[in-house]
Amino acid sequence: MKRSWGWVGLMALVLCFSVLWMTGCAKKRTLQEGAVVTQEQKAVAQAPAEAAATTAPDTRAARDRALQDQALIDQAARDAAEKAAREAAAKAAKDAADRAKREAKEKAAAILKELQIADVNFDYDKYNLKPEAQEILKKGAPAYLKYRDYKLVVEGHCDERGTAEYNLALGEKRATEAAKYLTDLGIEKERIKTISYGKEMPLDQGHDEAAWAKNRRAHFVIFPPVK
Amino acid sequence: MRNLKLPAVLSLLLFPLFSAGPACAKVYIDIDSPSFQQFPIAVADFKPLRPFPENEKLSLLFSDTLSRDLTLTGYFHLLDRKAFLEDPKRAGITAEGIRFEDWTVIGAEYLVKGGFQTDGRELMAEFRLFDVVRGELVVGKRYAGKSGDHNRMVMQFVSEILLALTGEAGLFDTRIAFVKKSAAAAEIYTIHFDGSDPRRVTNLNALTLSPRWSPDGRFLAFTSYKEGNPDIYLRDLESGSTRKIVFYPGLNLPGSWSRDSKRLLVTLSRDGNQEIYDMNVENNLLLRLTRDFSIDVSPVRSPDERRIAFVSNRNGSPQIYIMDADGANVRRLTYLGNYNTSPAWSPKGKKIAYEGSVNGRFQIFAIDAEGGDPQQLTFEGGDHESPSWSPDGRYLVYCVRGYGGSRIEIMNAGGQGVRVLHEDKDASQSPFWSPHLR
Repeated sequence: MKRSWGWVGLMALVLCFSVLWMTGCAKKRTLQEGAVVTQEQKAVAQAPAEAAATTAPDTRAARDRALQDQALIDQAARDAAEKAAREAAAKAAKDAADRAKREAKEKAAAILKELQIADVNFDYDKYNLKPEAQEILKKGAPAYLKYRDYKLVVEGHCDERGTAEYNLALGEKRATEAAKYLTDLGIEKERIKTISYGKEMPLDQGHDEAAWAKNRRAHFVIFPPVK
Repeated sequence: MRNLKLPAVLSLLLFPLFSAGPACAKVYIDIDSPSFQQFPIAVADFKPLRPFPENEKLSLLFSDTLSRDLTLTGYFHLLDRKAFLEDPKRAGITAEGIRFEDWTVIGAEYLVKGGFQTDGRELMAEFRLFDVVRGELVVGKRYAGKSGDHNRMVMQFVSEILLALTGEAGLFDTRIAFVKKSAAAAEIYTIHFDGSDPRRVTNLNALTLSPRWSPDGRFLAFTSYKEGNPDIYLRDLESGSTRKIVFYPGLNLPGSWSRDSKRLLVTLSRDGNQEIYDMNVENNLLLRLTRDFSIDVSPVRSPDERRIAFVSNRNGSPQIYIMDADGANVRRLTYLGNYNTSPAWSPKGKKIAYEGSVNGRFQIFAIDAEGGDPQQLTFEGGDHESPSWSPDGRYLVYCVRGYGGSRIEIMNAGGQGVRVLHEDKDASQSPFWSPHLR
């Protein structure tokens, strides 16, 4: 036991010496450096100090101000840099969002385009679907089976001839016929609404057979899902 | 309602200026007979009842308004003032002051004379109708009101003249409802029988159609797309309020009212197809009257309410059918032509007016409600649509759609005496004649 205590004492001694030596060296170098700084400061400050010995406190204040200004400028520069970085990040995020939005919009527009069914036309005082009308509906229905959260309003319209009331009924028959055909093609009944505008909302304001033929129609309005 | 009636300020003080005309039972001239000829009538300038203040302008205003309104009825031939022999300065306005031969010699059968006096804003006027052949007073009235009431006083007296000569009071207390369409919307307006005083009734800023006046004059039922769907609304003309009353999915269209203004025939597609129902307006209870997969629309009641005329295309083209009030016993009424719609049952019960297609144009027809050959009433170019009878059954109002617009016209039940009731830059359509609004 005694011997081990001896070892410890010896180790401590060695440690003490080495610390002393090291700190001695460091101190000496610090002193030397301090001397150099003093000389430099002297050299720098000598000229103005001699030129305006009486205004020495003002000079110091001006220098302080200059330093403060410099600090402020530096701070501003740092702030600007940080701001620019932040903005760049925000812009990148916004661009990404815009792109996503645009893409979503384009996609929605593409879906709407895919879902849009052309008007189908009818003969005078008739509401049966002609073969060409059936073709249009057959072409139009699959998109509604693909995008199941979209709904559809079928509008029935008539040409200007005849009573307002009978035409309201006739327009409703046209809308119902078209809606029924779409239901038969697999679109759920609940997704299709019908409305008749009779002869009250002509597509073509003309008063000839060409205008009337266009106005005797079922028109399809897509209702996108409500978000 | 007050604004539709004669104003309350016009207190009609009816002085018995004489004891009623001939003592024997009145024999009215049958103005519906084909041999009817217009009454030759003279209207003398009105005289101030007191020497001061003189008011020549008002004097002419009375006689001119009276002449215009008498002409409007279609029953009178107005004699030219220039042919008058009487010296207006010396003649009186009572039977004693009139030389009747001065009038018979120029061909008059009847003569109207009158006088007026003003007192500040007060206006009093006397009117007398003479039978110059018999040389006696037929009817005389005195009205008190405000200055500016002369128009209403004249209308009142023209009604008296009509009542005395034809047994019916005429139409000066009636208005016509119609739809005026602009680019953005269609709204309901009413206009006086003489074409004056158009008033806007609805302001829904939406497509609005099919006005139907209740027989008590209080309500206008109509259809509007105000909330997207064609629903039936009721406008209370007394309170000025409007409420939505029938709004099933699909079409909701008003037809004709019952005489007690409590039930309304309606066309609804709530059961999947356009069908006709009789609806109690107080509790909205429905009685379904038609059951057919085709279109059934535009129901009108017969005046005795035992039958209903309506439009159906159950045999392929739109035609007019008649059924019993409970929906039983449906029979087809029209056979001529392939498009007959918009029936209107005459208040006298015998005839049904409608529009039919002739050579691609729509014209107004009338057919005996028991069936038979239809009589074509209009022949001009343009499409004539939506006939509606005056409450006395003597006139029809309808719309004419030509190139670029449409207007409202009136003619007598035989198809003569056509005049334009209303025309402006907007399309006017679907006229409906009010009941008497007195």
